Amino acid sequence: MTEFDVSADVEAVVEDRDIPEDLREDVYRVVEERSLSVEAADEIAKAVENRYRETRVEPLDPVGTVSAQSIGEPGTQLTMNTFHYAGVAEIDVTQGLPRLIELVDARKTPDTPMMTIYLEDEYAESRERAHEVVWQLEATKILALGDVSTNVADMNVSIDLNPDTLQERWPTVADTGEIAGEIAEIIEDSLGVTTIQKGTNVQFGPEEPSYRDLLQLVEELREITFKGIEEISRVVIRKEDVETPEDEEREEFVLYTEGSSFGDALEIEGVDASRSSCNNIHEIHRTLGIEAARETIIEETNDTLKEQGLDNVNVRHLMLVADMMTNRGEIESIGRHGISGSKESVLARAAFEVTVNHLLDAAIHGEVDDLNGVTENVIVGKPIKLGTGDVDLRMGSLSKSGEQAD
Amino acid sequence: MVNVSQHELVPEHTLLEEDELEEVLEEYDIDRTDLPKIKRKDPALPDEASVGDVVKIVRDSRTTDTAVVYRLVVE
Repeated sequence: MTEFDVSADVEAVVEDRDIPEDLREDVYRVVEERSLSVEAADEIAKAVENRYRETRVEPLDPVGTVSAQSIGEPGTQLTMNTFHYAGVAEIDVTQGLPRLIELVDARKTPDTPMMTIYLEDEYAESRERAHEVVWQLEATKILALGDVSTNVADMNVSIDLNPDTLQERWPTVADTGEIAGEIAEIIEDSLGVTTIQKGTNVQFGPEEPSYRDLLQLVEELREITFKGIEEISRVVIRKEDVETPEDEEREEFVLYTEGSSFGDALEIEGVDASRSSCNNIHEIHRTLGIEAARETIIEETNDTLKEQGLDNVNVRHLMLVADMMTNRGEIESIGRHGISGSKESVLARAAFEVTVNHLLDAAIHGEVDDLNGVTENVIVGKPIKLGTGDVDLRMGSLSKSGEQAD
Repeated sequence: MVNVSQHELVPEHTLLEEDELEEVLEEYDIDRTDLPKIKRKDPALPDEASVGDVVKIVRDSRTTDTAVVYRLVVE
């Protein structure tokens, strides 16, 4: 079962102990390294089990507070300036504290949305095939396709499309004239003008001769997306070593996009819809569901901390944050507009942020505070229901035989 | 349409039978409304799930082999 070279007896005694998988592997590693006997292995496993039990969270432990502190302290060491090139190619990604805040605030769109697109079989192996996917993703604007000239005398706009570019971006269509026709059609639909197409040249103008309308048309023309996904402004191809599910390493092309539209991207042929991901937790939630969103929150917060060299934050804290954020089946932010703001107790809400507003609203609506939580009991000076505070003790006595004497 | 369940970020979602559910609720001594929720329109949800059902989710855990969680289907 384990990858370490240990005898079946050792495995039997270690498996017998109530310890988690990762610690079990550690035990096997030590046993293998020092080629220990079965007895020694049992001793070690026993010691590990005891230590593990001691360090487990006890009932009534304030895990939330511990997590908050455990993330908050390293948070003070995160960089506060937003941009720098993070590992990934030439794509700017928000890092450090701003990214962490963005995640726990569950912002609708991140500052720098991006996607990591893995490719299927032959697309992943050849740069040319990978490029086909790039053209499906990257938004193509008119300036990338040819030259646009405005003729004020004739009151028209003339576009000289570059045949080579057309051929490259529409690899499935052989005839450049046909592609130009498609482009002309898109222009007609989006601008409501009639176009004249000759080969790779497309011309059109405003209905009534008007200098303003002409310039307006050119402005609008530049905004049209002819191919690809509107939101994706740039795609970078990188050759990377990727581990396959069979634990083999192989080289494949991976795409990184600036801007994201996860749902649309997964539909594109050649995109591996089982591995590709996105840094917008809401898009993940929409396309893959709440569990995938939870996973992404953990992954993204963990990566943000790791990137800054703060990888000693236990992942359990991040898991707790992600669990809380996804508990109601949709992504909620941590702050006043999310989880802290939806607490039952008026006093607990008031203690968090914008005290007066909460108290005023509560007074207007005649809210009642049952004093069940921690914060409100600290405020009124009652024992809190945590640790020993939640345990009621009653004195009694036992007779010698062990029966209740009372 | 993309098959969502194939994605590596999506753990296995299965509908929980009523008697299994009873056992779970008894073990944790909770009501079904105390469980975490999942929206009816969640893309990872099995098609036959309806509001009030409970799904069993088996995640690959970072701290152990697998972790089992339950979510109540709402709205």
